[in-house]
Amino acid sequence: MYMSEKSKQIIDACRFCWMCRHICPVGNATGQERNTSRARALGLSVVNRGAAELSPDIMDNIYECQMCEACTCDCATGWDPTYFTKEVRLQAALDGKTPDYINAIVDKVLETGNIYGAKELDADLAAAIKAHAAKEDVILFLGAEARYNVPTAAQNAIKVLEAAGVKFTVLADEPASGYALDWLIGAADETKQQMTDCAAILAGYKTVVAFDPQDAKAFVREYKEYDLKVGAIVTFTAFVAGLIKDGALKVKNTGKAVVFQDPYQLARMLEETEEPRAIVSACATLNEMLLNRKDTVWAGGSFMAIYNPLVSELVSKERWTNAINVGADTIVTASVSEYAALKATAPEGKTVLSIEELVLSAL
Amino acid sequence: MVCNEFLTDIILTELEDAVGKENCSTREIDKITHGVDFFWLSRMWADRGRRMPEADFVVSPKDATETSKVMKIANYYKIPVTTWGGGGGSQGGAIPVAGGIVLDTKRMNKIYEVNTEAMYIECGTGAIYKHIEWAANEVGKATMHYPSSLTCSTVGGFLAHRGIGVVSNKYGKIDDMVLQMEVVLPNGDIINTSATPKHAVGPDLNQIFIGSEGTLGVITKAQLRIYDQPEERRFRGFLFQDMHGAFAASRELLQKFKPSVMRLYDEAETASLIKKIVGVEKKGAFMNIAYEGVKEMVEVEEKILLETFAKYGAEDLGSEYGEKWWKEKITFFYPGHMMDLPQMFGTMDTIATYDKIEKIYWAMKNAIETKYPFAKFIAHFSHWYEWGCMMYDRFIIDGEYVPKDPTEALKLHQEVWTTGIRTAIANGGVVNDHHGVGIKLGRFVHEQYGPAMQVLEGIKKQLDPNGIMNPFKLGL
Ligand SMILES: Cc1cc2nc3c(=O)[nH]c(=O)nc-3n(C[C@H](O)[C@H](O)[C@H](O)COP(=O)(O)OP(=O)(O)OC[C@H]3O[C@@H](n4cnc5c(N)ncnc54)[C@H](O)[C@@H]3O)c2cc1C
Ligand code: SF4
Ligand code: SF4
Repeated sequence: MYMSEKSKQIIDACRFCWMCRHICPVGNATGQERNTSRARALGLSVVNRGAAELSPDIMDNIYECQMCEACTCDCATGWDPTYFTKEVRLQAALDGKTPDYINAIVDKVLETGNIYGAKELDADLAAAIKAHAAKEDVILFLGAEARYNVPTAAQNAIKVLEAAGVKFTVLADEPASGYALDWLIGAADETKQQMTDCAAILAGYKTVVAFDPQDAKAFVREYKEYDLKVGAIVTFTAFVAGLIKDGALKVKNTGKAVVFQDPYQLARMLEETEEPRAIVSACATLNEMLLNRKDTVWAGGSFMAIYNPLVSELVSKERWTNAINVGADTIVTASVSEYAALKATAPEGKTVLSIEELVLSAL
Repeated sequence: MVCNEFLTDIILTELEDAVGKENCSTREIDKITHGVDFFWLSRMWADRGRRMPEADFVVSPKDATETSKVMKIANYYKIPVTTWGGGGGSQGGAIPVAGGIVLDTKRMNKIYEVNTEAMYIECGTGAIYKHIEWAANEVGKATMHYPSSLTCSTVGGFLAHRGIGVVSNKYGKIDDMVLQMEVVLPNGDIINTSATPKHAVGPDLNQIFIGSEGTLGVITKAQLRIYDQPEERRFRGFLFQDMHGAFAASRELLQKFKPSVMRLYDEAETASLIKKIVGVEKKGAFMNIAYEGVKEMVEVEEKILLETFAKYGAEDLGSEYGEKWWKEKITFFYPGHMMDLPQMFGTMDTIATYDKIEKIYWAMKNAIETKYPFAKFIAHFSHWYEWGCMMYDRFIIDGEYVPKDPTEALKLHQEVWTTGIRTAIANGGVVNDHHGVGIKLGRFVHEQYGPAMQVLEGIKKQLDPNGIMNPFKLGL
C-alpha cells in the first residue's frame, strides 16, 4: 500500500508512544489495547516493514478510530495520528481493501447523500423546510444527520431562527456536505466531487449557518484545503449566541443546572468553546464536566453507531459517567449525533437536551 | 502450552465463555500490539521488521470473577498467562514470551468508590492512573502519584513494578499508597489482603504481591490513597558546582523536612536535557526542589531550604526554572524530545544509601563509558529519603554504533546492561528502583538476593505450582 513520507513519520513516532492513550474515547470505553494511537501506528509500521499484511483485522482497527483528534490535541510534540488513519482509509478504498460494512455506508452516501440511505424526509420537517424555500442571504444548512436521523433537531433549529426573526433559506434538496465520505474514505475523488457540488450551491448565499458541527468542520477545513469557495461559514451556536447578544433572541434563564458537552469538531477543530457556553449560560445554570472545551470527549453516535453500535454505546455511557461524577442530571449537546447517542443511553432520571431545545424552553 | 488447532479451538471457546466473545481475541492486531511494550529490545525488534513472541489468545476480563475463570482454564491446560496492563513497562514484563494467554486488565477499570472520609479510591487495577487522578480531582483531591507515565500505565502495572512519581519524596512510592488489594491467585481463588496496611498479623500480604510482576497472581482491585490538594506548591531551582555538595545538602535538608520534588541532574544531563527543555545554560549540577502543603508550613520550609542549600554553596536560580520543569516534566517523554531508535538506550535506575550512591554513580559511569567508549552515561537523582536516594541513570548509544543485525544489537544491549547492573550491585546498589525486573533483568535477581531467593521461589512454588504465571520474568 502506498503511504506518504509524512504518514510514515507519524507512524514511527506514535508506534512506541503511550502518552495519549488516556484520552481516547474509544480505548477508554472498550478497554482494548488496539484502540490507541500507538497500537494503530504499530500495526501499520509492522505492515510497512513487510512483517504483516494489511489484514482485514488491521483494517477494522483503522475504522475503530473516530477521528476525534483528542490524541492530536493532547500530543506535546504535535503529531497527528488521524493523518495516517485518514490516508490509510483512502488507500484502502483505492486498493479495494475497505471493509464491507464501510463500503455499505459509502454506497448509501453516494446514492442518497446520507449515511442512513434515507430518501424521504419526515413530513413535519418537510413542511417546516418548505416555509423557508425563498432565497435569502442566509442559508441554514441542516445537514444529513439532523434531516434523516433526528428530524426534531432540524425542526427545532428552524424554530430558533424563526423566533429571532431571521430571514433564511432551507433547501428541500440540500446537498451532502461531503463530511461523511471524507470520514469514511478520506480525500477520494468522490469526496471532492461531493464537496465541489455542495460548494457550488452554497456559493450563492452570503452566510451559511451550519447546524451540524460535522458539516461546519468540513466547510471550514476540507473546503479550504480543496480551495472551494462558499459564503461566510458560521456555526449554528455562534450564530445563535450572536442573536442572543444582539437582543434579537430574547431568552430567560430557566435556572436549570446543566453541563455542556462540547462537540469535538467545534471545540478542537474550529476552536469554538465559548459561544455555546454563552447560549447555555443565558438559558440555564452552566456547570462543567472535568473534561471540557478542548479536552472534550466524544460522546458516541454517527458512523460507529451504525457499524459498531456496542462501541458507540460504551462511549456514550462513559460520558454519562463523567457528567454524573460532577453531579449533573442534564447534559446539553450541540451535536446532533451525540444528542441521539446520549439520549439512547441516558440513565434513569437523567436528561439530554439539545442546545436548540434549551433555547426554545427559555423563550 | 497450546499445541494444535483442535485444542486451540477448544480452549478459545472456553475463554470466550469466561469473558465474552468480544473480549477474547485471536486477531492479528491484538497479538501484534500485545507483543511490543516499552522495552527497548521489543521496540528494536519491531523496528527491524521482526515479529515479537505473540500470545495465542488475548482476553480482557471485566473483574475478579472473570479473571478467576481464565486462571482456572489456564491452570487446567497449563497455558502461560501474561498479565498486560498498559504495556508501558520498560522491562519486557508484559510481553508473552512463552505465548499462551495475554490477560489485558484494562476492562477492569471501574472506580468503585471515592471515599473522602478514609481518603482512598477503590478501583479496578486496569484503570489508567490518570483516570484515578481525574476521579480524585472531581472531588477536589489528588492521588499524588505522578510518574511520567501517568497517562500511559495502569494501577496494576504500577503496583506490579513498584512504580514511583515525581512527588514521591513527600507522598511516597506506590507501595506506600495502597490500603487493601484484591488478588486472583493462579488457581483461581480470589483473595483480599488485610483491611489496612498497618497491622501485626504477620507479614503484609500487600507487599508480597506489590512488585510481583504478575508472577504470583493478578491484582484485580486496589484501594489507593488520595490527598488534599496542597494550598501552595512552590519551586526553587539551584545550581551546585558538582553533585557532591548537592548530596550533602540534600541529606541535611531531609533530616529537617520533606520536599515533594527533589531532582538533581548530573553535569552531563544539565548540559543536555535540562538546557534543551528548561533552558538552564550554566555549567554545574541543576537541582529542582518543590515544597508544598499548608501555606504557613511552606513559608517555613522555604526558609529552611534556602539556609541549608546556601551553606553548601548552591546558587539560587529562583522559581522560574522549577516552574518550567513542572510544566514540561512530561514533555521529556514524547517522541521528538526523548531518545529514540536507531539509538540504543536504557534506564538503569538503582537505589542506595548516601554513603554509597555517589560511588555507584562514578563506578557505573566509568564501567560503561570505558567498556563502550561510544556510549554516553547520564543521570539524575529523583527520589530521596532520609537515608539515601535513587539514581535514574541512562546509557545512550548513537545509532551509528548500534549493530544493524537485530540479534547483534540484542547482544550488545544485554552486555551493556550486564556491565551496568553488576557494577551497581557490586557497589551496594540494587538491581532496580522502580521500573521492575521483567525479562530484562531477571538474571540479576538471583545475584542480588543469593540464598534469600529461596523465599521468593518458595512463594512462587506454593502459589503457582504449574508455573503458568508470567514465565521467565522476575527471575522466577
Ligand atoms: C513514557 C514513560 C515514562 C515512564 N515514567 C515512569 C515513571 O516516572 N515512574 C515509573 O515508576 N515508571 C515509569 N515508566 C514505566 C511504566 O510506566 C511503569 O513500569 C508501570 O508500572 C507499567 O505499568 P503498565 O500498566 O504499563 O504495565 P505493563 O507494562 O502492562 O506491565 C508491567 C508488569 O506488571 C504486570 N502487571 C500489570 N498489571 C498487573 C496486575 N493487575 N496484576 C499483576 N501484574 C500486573 C505485567 O505482567 C508486567 O510484568 C514510564 C514508562 C513510559 C512509557
Ligand atoms: S499522537 Fe503524540 S502522544 Fe499520541 S501516540 Fe502519537 S506521539 Fe504519542
Ligand atoms: S482520533 Fe480520537 S478515536 Fe482516534 S485514536 Fe485519537 S483519540 Fe482515539
